Amino acid sequence: MDGNLEISLDKLPIKRLESIEENGVERYPSDSSYDEKRVSLIRRIDFAWALEDDEERERKKRQKKSSKDASATWQWQSMVENLQLAHQELSVIIDLINTVDANDAVTVAGMTRPKPLLNEVLSDLAVSAATKLQCYRQLGKYFKQSAKALEEQIAREARFYGALIRLQQNWKVKRQRLASAASSSEGFIIDLFDNSLYDSAAMCRPSSLSTIRVDHDSAGMLAINLPPNSCRSLHFGFLGVHSADIPKELGKIRTRGSVEQCTREREKESVSDDEYIKETHTLLREVHQSIFDDQVFEMLNREAFNQSIGVNVTGIRENYLQLSIGQGNTLFISLVPSSKGDDQDAANTQDSESAIVPLDSFDNVKLEEGKHGTSKRKWGFPNRTSCEIYLQQIVHEHAFVKAKDKPNLSGTRVSGQSGKDGPGLLGHFCLSLAHRIFSNRVLVELENVVCRVPYLHLMTHPTWHSQTSSWTIFLKVPQSILHAESQSLKSDFQNMKDAVKSQFRTKVVVNDDRINVEGDGAPNVVSLFKRSSENISSVNKYECDLADLPVIILLQAASQVICWLHEEALMVGIKTNRDFLCLTFELEQGDTVSLVAHVNPEDIKGGITWWLVMEDGSTDDWKLQMDMYDGASEYRKFLGHLTLDVLYSTLMDLVSLCGGGRNH
Amino acid sequence: MNKGTGAGTGPTAAAAAAAAQKQKTMMQRVETDIANIVDNFTQLVNVARVNDPPVRNSQESFMMEMRAARMVQAADSLLKLVSELKQTAIFSGFASLNDHVEQRTTEFNQQAERTDRMLARIGEEAAASLKELESHYYSSAQRTHDTA
Repeated sequence: MDGNLEISLDKLPIKRLESIEENGVERYPSDSSYDEKRVSLIRRIDFAWALEDDEERERKKRQKKSSKDASATWQWQSMVENLQLAHQELSVIIDLINTVDANDAVTVAGMTRPKPLLNEVLSDLAVSAATKLQCYRQLGKYFKQSAKALEEQIAREARFYGALIRLQQNWKVKRQRLASAASSSEGFIIDLFDNSLYDSAAMCRPSSLSTIRVDHDSAGMLAINLPPNSCRSLHFGFLGVHSADIPKELGKIRTRGSVEQCTREREKESVSDDEYIKETHTLLREVHQSIFDDQVFEMLNREAFNQSIGVNVTGIRENYLQLSIGQGNTLFISLVPSSKGDDQDAANTQDSESAIVPLDSFDNVKLEEGKHGTSKRKWGFPNRTSCEIYLQQIVHEHAFVKAKDKPNLSGTRVSGQSGKDGPGLLGHFCLSLAHRIFSNRVLVELENVVCRVPYLHLMTHPTWHSQTSSWTIFLKVPQSILHAESQSLKSDFQNMKDAVKSQFRTKVVVNDDRINVEGDGAPNVVSLFKRSSENISSVNKYECDLADLPVIILLQAASQVICWLHEEALMVGIKTNRDFLCLTFELEQGDTVSLVAHVNPEDIKGGITWWLVMEDGSTDDWKLQMDMYDGASEYRKFLGHLTLDVLYSTLMDLVSLCGGGRNH
Repeated sequence: MNKGTGAGTGPTAAAAAAAAQKQKTMMQRVETDIANIVDNFTQLVNVARVNDPPVRNSQESFMMEMRAARMVQAADSLLKLVSELKQTAIFSGFASLNDHVEQRTTEFNQQAERTDRMLARIGEEAAASLKELESHYYSSAQRTHDTA
């Protein structure tokens, strides 16, 4: 500050007596409070110097103006002066503020707002308008962002609920409150558990896969996440033929792999919603099938613990059941988890193709049977896939469909627990498989026999029964012989009715593992004893083993040929005697000539060979029998494997030798 | 959302009453949210005037932000309401669900019957083909030549 420094002195802070009253009370001045002291100090601030300075400045300014009007003024002079004035005012204000900061109370007597200038008003207004405009713009951005977020949420929900509604068309969708207290939203689950087919007797634990949670993926679409290897499939095979570790059908594995792969690709949003829903349906279907396979295996396990016909458990462990079905055949049923990836699928493809023995290919059997005896037993196993399907079908039909149709049905029929009622599902399955394997072997034997004998025809009769198979072996008389007979008998209609049979039948029926052979044209025991040539229309019925089957068939065929030849001879009026495999013609002077059949199942060229045996009428039978065992007898001639044409010709020659019939 | 107006006792009446109450509640929520949006938007428009004191403008800017947030919140509430309605439609449309389930059941049963008939026909044709093939094979010259 310019000017002289003035100093004011305060009184010492001594209490001076102010007055004394008549009673002697001394009165001192009251102590001023701290605030009052400060106020008094502030009031003592003299601003007169500032006012004087202002007046002086104005005076000088006028003087300068008047004296220097002619001279040029500095263009910034006024601004400098204004700044100086402002500085002074600021100094005062700063002092005031410092005083206030020091907790000095300041009493503002009065303040008048300076009247704003027009430009200041407009500038303030402009600033306010700009500020408000900025505010609205920010609001606009906020609304746009919110709108975009809400639209995305709407789109996500539309996709999610649209997919959920489509899933609900085929699956049971339920709501489930989430356990967390913080989240009050609902979750959705898909319930794959079928509780309509379980009664108290056959109660099964619901699978862990029965409820599947529906989640949201990153795009808002519903997603179904399954833990790896949670799905299991039924695996069936024959021990020694199929490996127990091979995973199930590659088609299913590829489906699951492709579903997983498509789930990964889903993140790229390259798969349309329709395709994704289809894949989800496929995945749920596979889970459903996995649950069904679990139920099937559990039911089989329970039945395995109950004694029933056809069930012979030879091994059991977790998710694995091994059963013996007789004749050295053993099967296994297991639950295996699904494979993990496509690479493993490709590797397993090769392994499974090389490990699985080919199916019912009997052509190879004929080539191999002479070389590898053990391979003969390996072949003839039914298709593994068909067995799995059959197992699932019988379980589904007998346990699920019947349980739905007959809710009051007892558990015995459903599970087949008691052995008294017969085999249960598992027993029925084992018996069916055992029969199938055995019947395949029977068929191999029959075909081997029929292939070697040209006049035998094999015909298969589908029985549509799981434990019964049937074939018929026809012995057909050649058409050339029949035509010749018809021409010779065309004038005799009655004889045509009595004409020789054109075919003989041998029926082979396999029930489980029992072979029944039934054939006509064979002599019965009574006529053999009577040594008569009565027309026997009896039918042989007997059971035999698999090893004896070729011999039985050949014997039956040979006896039918003998029977046919016998009837042919009778037709031409020649009396012949028929033994089991021997047809005897009587010659003159008591000599006999016999046509004898010899069967040999090991003969690969044909099973039936023929001998011509001549007997002298004076020779006793016993001696003839002894001669028969000689090494080289002149009474026997080996004719070899003869067709029916040749046999017929031989017969006619023998007939003519006998003196002929009425037709010669 | 109307589940009928059946009067009387029983679970159906109770369910109808619950549905009516729920509908009423939802309508109230809708009205509340819509009114909220309209009011806030009205206030936003009303404070568009520029006032002299800058302090008031600042005050109004805070108020505008608050009202905008309320509008967005009301819109979000409406969206949640729509979700609830969709869930109700999914889980309460028993008539359409039952019809669809029956239709699918019928389709599957028909498909099962068709499959069974087809399998039976395939079996019959296979048996007939087998019989024909066997007769042809055993009558063929190749077979007789092979065995001759």
